[in-house]
Amino acid sequence: MSLKPEVPIFEVKELSFRVREQLILENVSFEIFSGEYIAIIGPNGGGKTTLIRLLLNLEKQTSGEIKIFGKKLKDFKEWYKIGYVPQRATLVDESFPATVEDIVKMGRVARRGVFAGMSSEDREKVHDAMQKMDILDLKDKMVGTLSGGQRQRVMIARALASSPKILILDEPNTGVDMVSQQRFYELLAKLNREENITILFITHDIGVIADDIGRLFTINRKVTICNDPKKLLSCDEVSDLYGIHAHSLANHKHEH
Amino acid sequence: MFEMLSYDFMQRAFIAGLFIATLASISGTFVVLKRYSLMSETLAHSALVGVAVGLVAGYNPLWVAVVVSILSAWLIEYLRSSFSIYSDAVLSIMLSGSLALAVIIVSLGGAFNNSLFSYLFGSILSVSDTDVYTIVVFGSISLAFLLLFSKELYFIAYDEEVAKTSGIKVKFLNFLLVTVVAIIIALSIRVVGSLLIGALMVIPTVAALQYRVGFRNTMFIALFFALFSVIFGMSLSYYFSLPSGATIVLSVIAIFIISLVINRK
Repeated sequence: MSLKPEVPIFEVKELSFRVREQLILENVSFEIFSGEYIAIIGPNGGGKTTLIRLLLNLEKQTSGEIKIFGKKLKDFKEWYKIGYVPQRATLVDESFPATVEDIVKMGRVARRGVFAGMSSEDREKVHDAMQKMDILDLKDKMVGTLSGGQRQRVMIARALASSPKILILDEPNTGVDMVSQQRFYELLAKLNREENITILFITHDIGVIADDIGRLFTINRKVTICNDPKKLLSCDEVSDLYGIHAHSLANHKHEH
Repeated sequence: MFEMLSYDFMQRAFIAGLFIATLASISGTFVVLKRYSLMSETLAHSALVGVAVGLVAGYNPLWVAVVVSILSAWLIEYLRSSFSIYSDAVLSIMLSGSLALAVIIVSLGGAFNNSLFSYLFGSILSVSDTDVYTIVVFGSISLAFLLLFSKELYFIAYDEEVAKTSGIKVKFLNFLLVTVVAIIIALSIRVVGSLLIGALMVIPTVAALQYRVGFRNTMFIALFFALFSVIFGMSLSYYFSLPSGATIVLSVIAIFIISLVINRK
């Protein structure tokens, strides 16, 4: 991990979220710094997606505080600094009239402003994002005709086109085959290592990337942060608490 | 074809019709992609309430229709964003409620006559100079807004949540879209009729979607289909003395069926 700057990307203090009488998240506090690579695991209904939605201002917390780049959520305007790939990203409407390039260009919309057309910088960023995700040869294809793995790369290219400081991905491997998943994790690690993009993502298959991640957040209403994921992942305790097959994780990556 | 254009009323109808085809098809692309198709039907029926009030109270029905339609659009968008699970039910209630209200107003006011009939199904004979000016001026403003925000509206149509997280003012733009659609619908009912304008908005885009091309090309194909339908439909209306809205809508449905057949996998 790189040297910690003064201002964290996310600063979460005593965050709680309640739906009617049910407490979904309780007293959650953490900080995320530039250059980190963080995975979030936990059982279904444990609050993983809710936490991400709160960070993205898609839900309002019951109590507590969230700061992004040192600013309160309501004062934060530079949302293009955050690239988001939602859970259902690969489940696209097949009849939607969009080529791969149309989708990746969406990543520049918020940066361009209302009256601006595509500048040469915009075109360059779109091209770079497609090149990084290895989808340049697909740019004129309709997104509905692509495989799950290809769609996944298109959605990440869209997020990358806005030159984000952090990529947030919610179970990005839904509907993606194993080979594409492996390739995807290699891409994420590369983006983190070479582009210094902070990565925060929810996953069920933590074993596949155990070697690469810096920190692991386990969420089941409360958050437990593990700074040495490989150690924690070898514990049967994780399997018991979070319903994840954590045994033999150290060797899991090499089995594929 | 050119003989009918020697009449002033046909020139007015064609100018208004071609403008409406442009407005309906371009706004219709966003309406369909956002799955707002039922909303356009509902707004068309709400506009009829405005027509009814205008006819009974002696105001210009087109103007009152614009105001009522915009108010309905805002109410629908508010209810849709607040109670998203039941949004289609809300639209159904407003659709039938608006029609019932319009009929009652007109009946009580004693204005249930050909005038209302022409607003229900469209009439090329009834397009006045004032109607043409109103359609061209307000239609141009509405079109300008649509084109200005087209990249944002397209993003929202594809993925509203991701658009929001990237900093796009989704709520404002959704209200803007329904406002523009409400204006276009109200402007269109003279030529196409309130019961049929929803079809002119939705069907050209649905037909264009069959060709599986990108966003820009889909919009151009929808525009072409709408323009063709209006020219063909109004010509049929002139030569066979049929209601213009019905002939236009049947023309666009024929295009949709042909598109469906030739693009079958």
